Amino acid sequence: MLDQLLSIFANVEFYAAIIRMTTPLLLAAMGSLLAEKAGVVTFSMEGMMLMGAVGGIIGSGVTGNVWMGVLLAILFGISVGLIYAIMAVSVGAHQIVTSVGLNLGALGLSAVLYPLVFKRGEEVIQTVIRVPSMPLLKIPILGDIPFVGNVFFNHLPPVYIGYLLAPVVWFILYRTSWGLKVRAVGEHPHAADTVGISVAKVRYATILFAGACSGLAGAFLSIGLLGSYMENMTAGRGFIAYTAIVFGKWEPTGVLLGTLLFGMADALQLRIQALGIGIPYQFLVMFPYVVTMIALISLVGKASWPASYGSPFRREAG
Amino acid sequence: MNRPIRLKFFWQEYLERSFSLTIPLAAILAAFALSGLLILAWGSSPLEAYVALFSGAFGSPSAIATTLQRLTPLVFTGLAVTYGYRGGFFNIGAEGQLYMGAIAAVWVAITFPDWPSWLLVPSCILASALMGMVWVILPALLKARRGINEVLSTLLMNYIAIQYFEWVIRVDHAMRDFTPPGGLGWAFYNWLGLKDPTQPHPKSPFLVEAAHLPTLKSILETPLLQGWLGGSEWYQQLLSVTALGRISLAPFLGLFAALFIYFLMFRTVTGYRARAVGINPEAAKFMGINVPRTLFTTALVSGALAGLAGGMEVLGTQHRVIPNFLVNAGFDGIPVALIGQLNPLAVLLSATFFGALRAGANKMQVVSSVPVAVVYVIQALAIMFAIAGTTIDIGLALRKRRVAQMRREQETLEVESEAANA
Repeated sequence: MLDQLLSIFANVEFYAAIIRMTTPLLLAAMGSLLAEKAGVVTFSMEGMMLMGAVGGIIGSGVTGNVWMGVLLAILFGISVGLIYAIMAVSVGAHQIVTSVGLNLGALGLSAVLYPLVFKRGEEVIQTVIRVPSMPLLKIPILGDIPFVGNVFFNHLPPVYIGYLLAPVVWFILYRTSWGLKVRAVGEHPHAADTVGISVAKVRYATILFAGACSGLAGAFLSIGLLGSYMENMTAGRGFIAYTAIVFGKWEPTGVLLGTLLFGMADALQLRIQALGIGIPYQFLVMFPYVVTMIALISLVGKASWPASYGSPFRREAG
Repeated sequence: MNRPIRLKFFWQEYLERSFSLTIPLAAILAAFALSGLLILAWGSSPLEAYVALFSGAFGSPSAIATTLQRLTPLVFTGLAVTYGYRGGFFNIGAEGQLYMGAIAAVWVAITFPDWPSWLLVPSCILASALMGMVWVILPALLKARRGINEVLSTLLMNYIAIQYFEWVIRVDHAMRDFTPPGGLGWAFYNWLGLKDPTQPHPKSPFLVEAAHLPTLKSILETPLLQGWLGGSEWYQQLLSVTALGRISLAPFLGLFAALFIYFLMFRTVTGYRARAVGINPEAAKFMGINVPRTLFTTALVSGALAGLAGGMEVLGTQHRVIPNFLVNAGFDGIPVALIGQLNPLAVLLSATFFGALRAGANKMQVVSSVPVAVVYVIQALAIMFAIAGTTIDIGLALRKRRVAQMRREQETLEVESEAANA
């Protein structure tokens, strides 16, 4: 048992798999962090990712060009984001309930759109449809470094976007006036409103950005890793991404670590299952949630989520 | 200290005052109308599809039996969310509590298969409620004692429960005629397990007959009723309806639970305290209510209801557990509760709406080739319309109140200035 475990850890492919498993979580979580910082609960990531996954398949399958798939995935993600923004910001509806509704709707709509587009005559397709999928992109020079090159620099393109996203989000949040606005809106929307920041505009923009990133994350699953589509193929990854934000205490570095932890547990779990080692892999999957729970309990002293978290902004209701 | 997440804004207060079914019903109608466009795009007739959907849900005794089976867990999770939400504890952990409840019920049933039915069934039900409570204790304590947000903690507990279930369903159950592999050290390990050792796949054994909730058929066939009604013709006709064998007591217990929660919430001190804390914890504290304790009690009631959802599904419908035996019933409790306007009796109606859609979807697919997933779109749209409608209504109510207040202030000012002039 031990040598089998060691063989997993000795394999370069395992570390590359961690990066692969982390990427969709990272894209969704980091993309949504700005909206979270602006005080919006982005529990609807799951629905955005799912629509992104089906959008990627449709775009790629219909045009035969994988990048059109990516584009459509992002557009689908943004569309879900737009509906969410209208509900959460303009209407001021309860954000978690709206998210539950959106996720359910995305589950249904994706399961209808896929056969709708790929229906041949009256026959509803039963077989798996293969569509053009993303090519591997090996970074010159860096990709040739032994070990490191294979782990980090020989991946599908969205992986590199994921690498960039964490520092970019951090930079936006803490080094630009735009990030200051985002944080002001999250911490004290009334004060932000008083100094002339449009709370609605900031929240709309960040939610749409979350939609675009989550849509890309969905496309990474469908036309990236798999090259085909399955019903409910995100399988709760949107919720995992949300948990990673909680784990990371709403800070970019923490969220990065959180997604890595979940990605690692996922990669390890798959290998243990495949090798049939007698370790209860369910506890491995459970582990990051337990750690997050502990992190939540030990949030002492410092408040981590924005003060206006989850509540819509009404100018008159002070 | 953690900051509270102010997810509820005027909701409780609003719903305390006014309650109408207009918004949910209009939302459901609008959802059907809009989904009709999707069905048109698919190339089928919406009317035909909806007729099939309806007849698949209510068109025959067997259809009604299926609808009742589907709506039962939703009634319990919907009540769990309703009671928790009204009491200021937004329990989105019903999914996990439901899984733990189902585990407990199955475990009791397969560990004590010799118990007589009158003892075994109540024990299983009690076990599922207790286990649901156990699973909410940690989030409840964190919320009551340290103000840690329950939405996050109950969400996390869901995934821990689901993974625990995934494990326990793959561990052989130490049944009487089965020696656990690996000797005594594994005895405890296997003692927890739920898997039927004779099966290659992760499934629990079928529960013994004594652990099944009685069905309407078995109640009708009891000697007492048979001797009493045996001669009458309608009794014989009723017995010939096979669907009665699929209708267990579970939906009726759901009805009872809804009435009980209604009573608890609106006619007892416990419910009054819970609602007071839900509307405004600060004011409740000022009124002399022990806020942490009330929150804790509310959470336990909510957890017990969610646990019962799992127990009822196992004892009344499936009689065993397999992986993914009941997906999303816990999360669906949230929209069921909110479409039901957070009223226990209206939750029955919204659970029926959800359950009927799920039950009728298969027939809709067979008759008009519309995919089952369309019903998710219908449900999602109903949720969105209902939530938007209620929110806008709350906004209007608030504005009306503010206008009235301003008018009062204006009048006081005028009176004062008149007094000053005179």
